[in-house]
Amino acid sequence: MDGYNCVFNPLFRSKENRLTMGLPNASGDLSTEVEVDAFRRLFPLRFYEKHLLESIRPDARPLGRARETTIALGAVASANGSALAKIGSTTMLAAIKMEVMTPSLETPDEGCIAIDFHMPPICSPIVRPGRPAEAAPVVAKQLSDTILSSGMINLKELSLVSGKAAWMAYLDIYCLDADGALFDTALLSAVAAFSHLEIPVVSLNDDGKIVLSEEQGLSDREPVNKERRKINLSSIPFSLTCVLHKNYILADPTAEEESIMDTIVTVVLDSSSQLVSLHKPGGTVLAYTSAIQDCIALTRQRVKELQKILEEAISGMEVD
Amino acid sequence: MAAKPGSAPVTYSPNLGQKTRPPIFKDNDLDWVRPDGRGFHQCRPAFFRTGAVNSASGSAYAELGSTKVIVSVFGPRESKKAMMYSDTGRLNCNVSYTTFATPVRGQGSDHKEFSSMLHKALEGAIMLETFPKTTVDVFALVLESGGSDLPVVISCASLALADAGIMMYDLVAAVSVSCLGKNLVIDPVLEEESYQDGSLMLTCMPSRYEVTQLTFTGEWSTPEINEAMQLCLDACNKLGKVMRTCLKEAASASQE
Repeated sequence: MDGYNCVFNPLFRSKENRLTMGLPNASGDLSTEVEVDAFRRLFPLRFYEKHLLESIRPDARPLGRARETTIALGAVASANGSALAKIGSTTMLAAIKMEVMTPSLETPDEGCIAIDFHMPPICSPIVRPGRPAEAAPVVAKQLSDTILSSGMINLKELSLVSGKAAWMAYLDIYCLDADGALFDTALLSAVAAFSHLEIPVVSLNDDGKIVLSEEQGLSDREPVNKERRKINLSSIPFSLTCVLHKNYILADPTAEEESIMDTIVTVVLDSSSQLVSLHKPGGTVLAYTSAIQDCIALTRQRVKELQKILEEAISGMEVD
Repeated sequence: MAAKPGSAPVTYSPNLGQKTRPPIFKDNDLDWVRPDGRGFHQCRPAFFRTGAVNSASGSAYAELGSTKVIVSVFGPRESKKAMMYSDTGRLNCNVSYTTFATPVRGQGSDHKEFSSMLHKALEGAIMLETFPKTTVDVFALVLESGGSDLPVVISCASLALADAGIMMYDLVAAVSVSCLGKNLVIDPVLEEESYQDGSLMLTCMPSRYEVTQLTFTGEWSTPEINEAMQLCLDACNKLGKVMRTCLKEAASASQE
């Protein structure tokens, strides 16, 4: 079991983190630790404000720092492209399945992308079977707006036979563990899944249907998409969510921070630092433009980090 | 073109036309090889790990070949308001599939049959009287379906329950056997399950040698049943040991 190479290994790292991190002011004495924990539960906002005065957060992060982030590509073999992204303990699994459709009359040489975001009951104590989480449709809409409007994917690349057949890319993102910054993690996993996506070689059979070339053994038949196995990703979007409280800006909030301080700002920038979307859905804090600018500056830094993490994940795959 | 569920056009998978042909069994066909090259009575290597989901009270991840599942346990927590008073605790189980779990894209809906089977397989092993008036929720998500899904979910769920500190008489290990012609193959993969003549699933508490669930489908003869049950019991014993090792490792890691 020790030598077993599991693609889901990044899933398991965080529990140790949680155990070793502890509270910055825990002195090892059990009685004070209990008091700290009780204080945290009874007066969560005051607990946080005491930390913020010291410019630190209960998990020992400075205010502007995001949690540890990992990406594992190719987690699901039954999909054409997949990725597992983890920010802190928030975990998302994204997978793409390619199917064939007849393109619409208005856009005969374009494919299509269908994006869905799921929060199954395993991810959080709040979600119960049959009662979907409120956050899920919000994140789903935000994701599909961001991915489709960022121009990351040229839908013309998904065309197979003009007017007859094109790819429909079903992108499904599952939240496996919800601990804040759901949109950031979901977008990261989606982007990673697209960069892992490998399009199967297909050809047109006698009935006018698209079939896999290798499986049918139709070596005489010319594949319709020989050169197009990978999708070109131009200007990849990355995001950072911040929580605003008084004059403080906390980057990459945990679920606890999101529930205590309810004003969030999500900024999406593409790889050349252009603004794709900015989302501040109300909240009790009315932000000055300077705060928004600070959020954008934090996001710009974060995009560089995320770009590097994604590049490392991709080059790691090529070595294998 | 922006995709919206509902207005989306009809699509099909390019590999739909391809159907695998079942092997033709004669009287002596022991030279037939399983798709993954295993022996007929050999299980896939099992990988278990607890603590996959931090927001749950307990959780476990299991991987056998390409079958991958996650189980989270929540509770014991307050039962639904509509529930009657109860001296013993309640167990609530749910099994669902991701849309990309199966070779052909599915709907990702709940699997009602598996949910109730999971409930019945675990019920006998849990000391329900230790959490009166409350409910323990066991939720499973099949990330990738590679055959023998239900047995993997059951084994994984019992590990997740142990991780959550729910009192049990023993871990529950589950194994299934497929009957293909005259052959019995243990721990079948998806392809084997698709052309099986019959199947048997046995879930048991290995150290107590007690069976919590036994299901048969299809055509079986008495000697075959005896052989299959013995195979399953042996495999459950071995699987139980692997699961126990996983728990011990997790416990020693958290002590450090």
